[in-house]
Amino acid sequence: MVKIVKPPKVDITRTVIGHLKAIGEATKQAIAPDTITIHYPRERRKYPDNFRGLMIFSKDECISCFRCAHICPANAIQMFPDENGRYYPGVDYAKCILCHFCIDSCPTAALKPSKIHDVAFKDVESMFIKEMDGIPEIKREDKKLVEYDFEEDLKITKRKYVENLIVEVPKPPRPKMIAAVKSPENCIGCRLCFFACPVDAISSKAEELEIILDTDPKKCTGCGICVRICPTDVLILQPVREG
Amino acid sequence: MFEELMSIFMGDSVNIPLIQPIVDTLMGIPLINLIVAFILWRPIFHILVIPGLLGITIILLWIVYWERKLTARVQWRVGPKEVARRAGGVIQTLADGIRYFFQEVIAHRDAHKLYFIQFPLISFLPVLLPLLFIPAGSVWGIRTIYALPIALALISLIPVFILGMGWASNNKFAYIGTVREAFIYFAYEIPFIISVIAMTVIYETADFFEIVAKQSIIPGVFINPIAFIVFLITLLIATSRLPFDIPEADQEIAFGPYVEYSGILFGLVMTLPYEKLYLLSLISVILFFGGWNGPAIPILGDLAPALWLFIKAFIFMSIVSLTRSIYGRYRIDQTLKMGWSKIMALSIIGLILSAGVAIW
Repeated sequence: MVKIVKPPKVDITRTVIGHLKAIGEATKQAIAPDTITIHYPRERRKYPDNFRGLMIFSKDECISCFRCAHICPANAIQMFPDENGRYYPGVDYAKCILCHFCIDSCPTAALKPSKIHDVAFKDVESMFIKEMDGIPEIKREDKKLVEYDFEEDLKITKRKYVENLIVEVPKPPRPKMIAAVKSPENCIGCRLCFFACPVDAISSKAEELEIILDTDPKKCTGCGICVRICPTDVLILQPVREG
Repeated sequence: MFEELMSIFMGDSVNIPLIQPIVDTLMGIPLINLIVAFILWRPIFHILVIPGLLGITIILLWIVYWERKLTARVQWRVGPKEVARRAGGVIQTLADGIRYFFQEVIAHRDAHKLYFIQFPLISFLPVLLPLLFIPAGSVWGIRTIYALPIALALISLIPVFILGMGWASNNKFAYIGTVREAFIYFAYEIPFIISVIAMTVIYETADFFEIVAKQSIIPGVFINPIAFIVFLITLLIATSRLPFDIPEADQEIAFGPYVEYSGILFGLVMTLPYEKLYLLSLISVILFFGGWNGPAIPILGDLAPALWLFIKAFIFMSIVSLTRSIYGRYRIDQTLKMGWSKIMALSIIGLILSAGVAIW
C-alpha cells in the first residue's frame, strides 16, 4: 500500500501570526536580551563551598601525619622534610585529579579547599609544588559576582561583590599526639631519641640486658622528631584519647 | 582661471548656516578657499559628503557592527565587545578594516590576475554612479526626470561585477557562488522592477523630487503595502542578506564569489553587498517613507533634508538587518520558486492595485 504524504495545508492567518510572533520575539530579545553569559575575567560565577579547586596548605596546622600522602589515589602527594626535620606534603598538580580526598582526610584542616580553578604553570616541572605554604598569589580582575537562578526561567543575577576564593572550613580541635613505645623489643639502645628530644621527655635505662625506654606524656609535645629519627621503628605517635 | 573655477563652484554651493563662520574664515586663505569651495559645490558635496562617500563610510562602519551585535543579542550572545569596551565595541569594524589593510593580498596562480585585481576596485563604479542620480533634498548630483530608472539600471550592474569576480577567481566554490548569483539575479530583478514600476504608476513620475513632494501627506508604504513587501523581500535577496545569503553562503561555499580574496581586496568586496543595501535603502526610503520629508532645521540649511534622508535610510537598514536573526536560510531552489511564482504574483497584484489607485 502506498501512502501518499500530502504537504501541510497553508493557512494564511496562522502563517501571518507566526511571522508576527517571530518578529515580536526577536525584537523583544534585541531590546532586552535574556543573555546568560558570564564575562569571565571581569565577572566570576558563584561556586559552591564544596567546589574542588586548588588546595591551600598552612604549615602551622600540619602535624605531619602523612594521611594525605597515603590516601591520594593519584599518588600526587609526597612528603618532603623542611630544615627542621619535619615532613610536609608537596603536591604534583600534573598528577593531581583534584578529588580533595587529602582535604577530607586532614585531621587538623591544614589542607583547605579553595574556589581557584584558573591556574597557569610555566612548565611541567613547576607543576610539582614541593613547598606549599599559605595562599598563592592571585590576580583578581573580577568586579562582580554572578549567580544563576534556575527557578522558573533561567536567569542570572549580578552583584557587585568580590568573593573570597578561599573557603573557610571550621577548624577541628587539634588532637594531642604523644610519642609512645610501640615495639620495645626492637630497641638497640642507640639513644638517638634521647638526645634528639627537645623537651627531655624520653628516659631510658638499662636493666640487665634489656633496655627500657619510656616517654613522659606530660612533657611530650608530640613533635614527632624521635619517631622519625628512630632507626628501628620503636616509637610511634599516638593520639591521646579522652580519659 | 582660478576666478572662473571659483565662480563656477560658488554659483551652486551648499548653504549651511552652522558652519558658515568657519567657511568664511577659510575663504580668506588662498588655495584653501578653492578646495573648500570645491567641496561645498553641490554635486561634489553630494558625492563626497552626504549621502556620498562619507555617508557610505559611516553606514559601513555602523551596519557591520550593528548586524553582528543585533544577531548576537537575539541569540543570547554578546557580540563584538573587546575593542573599545566602554563604548560596547563600536569601533570593531574600524579595527577589522585596519587589519584588512595590512594583510597580504594574494592573487593565486590560477586566477586571471588582471580581472581578479581590478574588479573589486571598479565595482565602486556601479555604487557611486547611481548615487549621483539619487538626490537628497537640496543636495543633488545630476537632476533629471529619468533619475529612478537610471539609478535602478546602474544598481542592477552590481551583480555583473560579482559574476566577474567569481569568474576571475577560477575556483570551484567561486564558480558555484557565481552560478547561484546568476540564477537568483533573474529571480529577484523582475519582481523588484515591477514593484518599482507600481510606485511610479502611483506617483505618475520617475523624478525623485516629485515623488517625495507627492508623499508629503501619506507615505507610499500606506498607499501600496503589497509593493513594499515585494520590494523588501527582493531587496533582501538582491543584497544577499540572510535568510537569502545564497551566493555567499559561508556555511556551504565559503563566501562564494569572494572566496579567493584576501586583505584589502576582501575588505572591498565584502562591503559591496552593504553598499548595495545602502543604495536600495535610500531608494526605498524615497519611494515608500517620504524621502527627505521631515521637520525643518533652519540652522542646518541645505544639509537638513539630506540628513533626514540619511537618518531614515540608517534606521531602515538597521531594522532590515533584524531579519538575519528571525528566519532560517532558504535553499536556492526555494528562493527561485518563490521569486518566480509567489513574489512575481504578489508584485503583479501590487501593480494592479497601483493602477487602481492611479485611476481613482
